[in-house]
Amino acid sequence: MIEILQHGLYTSIQDMGRFDYQSFGVPLSGALDQHAYRIGNQLLNNPERAAVLECTLKGPKIRFHKNSYIALTGADIQPQLNGKPIKNQTPIEVKENDVLELGTAKIGCRAYLAIAGGIKTEKVLGSRSQFKGLTREERISKKILLPTGDSNFKPVKGARLKIPNLDFNQKTLEVYLGPEYHLLKKAQKKILEESTFTLSELNNRMAYQFNEKLPHQLPQIWTAPVLPGTVQCTPDGSLIILMRDAQVTGGYPRLFQLTDGALHQLAQKKTHEKIQFKILTSIE
Amino acid sequence: MTKNPLNFRVLALHPKVLLLEWDQEPSETLLAFLLSFQIILEKQVKVTRCTMGYQSLLVHLLVDMKSLAWWKQRLLELQPKVENQTVNKGRHWKIPICYEPEYAPDLLALAEAVQLKPEEVVQLHTQTRYRVYFLGFLPGFLYLNGLDKRLYCPRKEKPLLKVPKGVVGIGGMQTGIYPSSSPGGWHLVGTTPLSLFDAQQQPPCFATAGDWISFESIDSKNYKALQKKINQGTFRLKPHD
Repeated sequence: MIEILQHGLYTSIQDMGRFDYQSFGVPLSGALDQHAYRIGNQLLNNPERAAVLECTLKGPKIRFHKNSYIALTGADIQPQLNGKPIKNQTPIEVKENDVLELGTAKIGCRAYLAIAGGIKTEKVLGSRSQFKGLTREERISKKILLPTGDSNFKPVKGARLKIPNLDFNQKTLEVYLGPEYHLLKKAQKKILEESTFTLSELNNRMAYQFNEKLPHQLPQIWTAPVLPGTVQCTPDGSLIILMRDAQVTGGYPRLFQLTDGALHQLAQKKTHEKIQFKILTSIE
Repeated sequence: MTKNPLNFRVLALHPKVLLLEWDQEPSETLLAFLLSFQIILEKQVKVTRCTMGYQSLLVHLLVDMKSLAWWKQRLLELQPKVENQTVNKGRHWKIPICYEPEYAPDLLALAEAVQLKPEEVVQLHTQTRYRVYFLGFLPGFLYLNGLDKRLYCPRKEKPLLKVPKGVVGIGGMQTGIYPSSSPGGWHLVGTTPLSLFDAQQQPPCFATAGDWISFESIDSKNYKALQKKINQGTFRLKPHD
């Protein structure tokens, strides 16, 4: 069991998401940075789909109710255990009554706190990921006790997990072309390829938007399925990148589809940060 | 070989995602074709899931595709044959709706806009069988086809920030039920006490793509009685024969 003493800015329970209910209109959900999420569970030898805490910009303060191991991945959120700084990306032993305090994200936007055995809140439609209207709470918003699973994890001395380094300062987002991209004019394609886009304040688990607009005359489309990483363009030219809590269908033209890597990278970007699109050769 | 009238494009949106698109306007024929295709794909191909739109299927593969050309060929082989397509009859669900003023805040305004009497709006709205094309927008939101042309009405200029759960709206050429409270720009013409989505039930929504929906007018007394039954857990909607 872990006890949330302070909930932080936006903290939620997340796992790999809900795969089987999209035909009922249920969003995918799950950790936005699946790369960091996976590493956390791997470091603790957890089941692949174990639930973790996703901590955004300012993390929570937590007390442990039993001896265990934790791992922090993703953004560097300046974690302290009983007032002493601890490392990211490595298993850390915690004892009953230890207090973990996560600070503000220095590099990146979302930190993942994995605990040995995983967080064991109730599964709804196959997942513990919190989502408005599905799970009892849509995020952690008060002092609360969270059940954790059993685990006999012990770090093996000298064992190391090779972790590919993700550069959170990397500006380039790799994309594939979307279905309506070919309807754009040359000048509009040039803007998309060469301009830098600034992340607006409208960024959350559903979608990210940018300050810059792309004037266009694209037609609306018949409502079609969309997925996380789809880049849509609204009639007023706003670019919207769908994230994991996004609805499963949409009616705006689709210009790009982010690679998985680009989606994880975007999840670590904050308001005002800049990005550029890099178009990959189409899959043949 | 018979020429297949339902040609489609195949796009690789992502190494694991294929988008199949048709040029046809949405129709019963296309819907039947998409539904059969989806069933075939889920049975014969290693997919994690398929999702549907009016003219498209999104296919999520289990592993990265090696060659789009190979998939294009495979999909051509797998597509349902129009001549021996299994007809998806779909089930018919009758949804009780209360159209009385306190449950239908925009009924008068909509009636005025389309130059009909409120009771004529209700009559036109309840006499149609609507086809469920697919679900999206919100968990349990049904995209319904078949709204009577006389009820077509542009959306409200100012969307409401919070349309309550269970409210039935008309907007543009569409009608639908808000399965949970949500912002919305449709004219609110009635309310159902039924839950369109319940995460604790399996399946979480009684209707699926291919089913039929019709609306049945009930008075506020019946609305309240039904709501009571629903809250007590003693009511379960059954498909109509």
